[in-house]
Amino acid sequence: MRELWDFRELVMTLAERDLRVRYKQAVLGIAWAVLTPLAMMIVFTVVFTQVGHINAHTNGAPYALFAYLGLLAWTFFASAVTTGGMSLVGNLGLLNKLYCPREVFPIAAMLDAAADALIGTVVLLVLFPITGYAPKPEAYFVPLLLIPLVAFTLGVTMAVSSIVVFMRDLRLLLPLVIQLGLFVTPVIYSSATFIKSKSLLIVYSFLNPLAPVLDGLRRTVLQGLAPSWGPLAAGTVASFLTLYVGFVLFKRLETGIADVA
Amino acid sequence: MPTLPDGTIEAAEVWKRFRSDDRPSYLQDQLARVRDRLSGNFRPSYRWALSDINVRAEPGESWGLVGANGAGKSTLLKILSRVMYPTAGRVDVAGRVGALIEVRAGISPLLTGRENIYLTGSIMGIKRRDVTRRFDEIVAFAELDKAIDRQVKFYSSGMQMRLGFGVAAFLEPDVLLVDEVLAVGDATFQQRCLDRIRAVLHEGSTLFFVSHDLAAVEATCKNGIWVANGTIQTIGPIRDVLTAYRGAVEGEAVESRQQITGRLSIRDVTAASPDGSLPSTGGPLEVNLTIEAPHEHRVWIYLGVSEGAATPIFLLNPGRETILPAGPTNVRCEIPSLPLPSGRFYVWAGVYEHWEGGTELVPWQPLTRFEVYGPKLDNAPPAVVRLVPLHIDSSWDIDRAA
Repeated sequence: MRELWDFRELVMTLAERDLRVRYKQAVLGIAWAVLTPLAMMIVFTVVFTQVGHINAHTNGAPYALFAYLGLLAWTFFASAVTTGGMSLVGNLGLLNKLYCPREVFPIAAMLDAAADALIGTVVLLVLFPITGYAPKPEAYFVPLLLIPLVAFTLGVTMAVSSIVVFMRDLRLLLPLVIQLGLFVTPVIYSSATFIKSKSLLIVYSFLNPLAPVLDGLRRTVLQGLAPSWGPLAAGTVASFLTLYVGFVLFKRLETGIADVA
Repeated sequence: MPTLPDGTIEAAEVWKRFRSDDRPSYLQDQLARVRDRLSGNFRPSYRWALSDINVRAEPGESWGLVGANGAGKSTLLKILSRVMYPTAGRVDVAGRVGALIEVRAGISPLLTGRENIYLTGSIMGIKRRDVTRRFDEIVAFAELDKAIDRQVKFYSSGMQMRLGFGVAAFLEPDVLLVDEVLAVGDATFQQRCLDRIRAVLHEGSTLFFVSHDLAAVEATCKNGIWVANGTIQTIGPIRDVLTAYRGAVEGEAVESRQQITGRLSIRDVTAASPDGSLPSTGGPLEVNLTIEAPHEHRVWIYLGVSEGAATPIFLLNPGRETILPAGPTNVRCEIPSLPLPSGRFYVWAGVYEHWEGGTELVPWQPLTRFEVYGPKLDNAPPAVVRLVPLHIDSSWDIDRAA
């Protein structure tokens, strides 16, 4: 941990490098950080409001905002796990020649995803006046919701990144799992759409810690309510459990990275 | 754990094993292990790359690692650089490590040279402004000029290596690990690398140097380790280590001599002083051998004396073609004054058809070895590579100028 702090500059350099490499080679550059969630929001808005007629339980907020807020957090998770999961495999050349704490690679990948999410948030601020809907003052709960989000994301990213080194099959499986994840997580609908019972919601939140975070984001920012504490607590516990397991797994597996590379 | 001064390297009882070659992936290995256990036939699913390595290097020491290919030198260096974890044992490396394990150590092809320098610096744990301070020196050393802002994937392999070496050697490492990388550069650059390594040593860094260029190792390092089959064969002053290593290499070569048969055969080889005693520095040496030919041959005969592998210190031939009649022929070669210091040397020989491009009748091979008694070779100044051990008499006059 101490060592990791000493290498904070490296984490920043790596994150900066990946951002640079990613956007330097694309003609549209940084615009991609905005385009991806925006495009998905439009797709889901069209599907839900024009085609499907499904009740997403937005509780009066415009569906576009509802979906965008969910997608913003989900995209952060998904892109951190996808790029972070490949961060060790992708940097084997570096890992095999110079020593540094291996954690810096998944952490840097997560910071990249966070930078994208930050750009996405700027877009959100523009979306509010466009849709004519104002954010509620309860948005001050958001930092509290970000704690389990970051913990869970980091835990999964670390686990995936270290396992992928040893089981390359996971690399092909990962996009599929992420796709499925989009539908078992209340990204484009609310948990209330499918789960009515309160105790079931707590179990669900424990199994999928992203659920209370996403629900909470919408409750606070769009509806002006406090988060539902029960599910959030369950999700937070599960997030830190995931982080712990991911970290331990990472520490165990990192010793063998140089052997298989 | 007591904190060691920066630049100290300590490896205690280090073992390293790799999974066996037919089970390269982790999953395959685990499955095979379960299968073995179920069927009850156990076979080791790993091989030991290093066994029981103990090394302690103090700050400022210079260590050369020598050994045959696959002996475990690079594995040991990777473990010392903490890139690879030992299976058992303890490794402590205090301070900043500059490692040049492969030619393009830590170079990211998509970034420019400039970005790479900063990235490598931050991996080594160096503050940005400290890198900036050495930046110009690195660029000058690597001779990159304007190319520094070009993506590294467009660099030539020489440029990549110069950049890699420059970064590792100029960012004030406490420990510098260099693995057989100089072989790529041209002669001038090799010499500049050796100069730079000497400067790094002078600044108090600890050096581990892996090379098959024994002369360069000898010139650069004070201490040595000879690794064979994953174990330390000899550890100590570099001259002793190299003597032992060369002896073993030659010993192997002499052993295998019996199996090589050319179209002619050589037997009854002796190398001694003419009165039968041991040769001494400046004294005479007589080499006798018998060549057996099935029919008449017109040949060139070459003799060589070597300390290292097939590269002789000097070569001798009669200066004209030799006619070998059918049957045995005795060949005697006398060197009136042997210019060799004390040590063990080997006689190599080869016999070739007399015309240009003719086939070899006896391939170049070691025949016998001999000991020389006399003065020991002087130590060379640091980073001066002496190609061959020769003892040359000289007289000096050193007077104060009038």
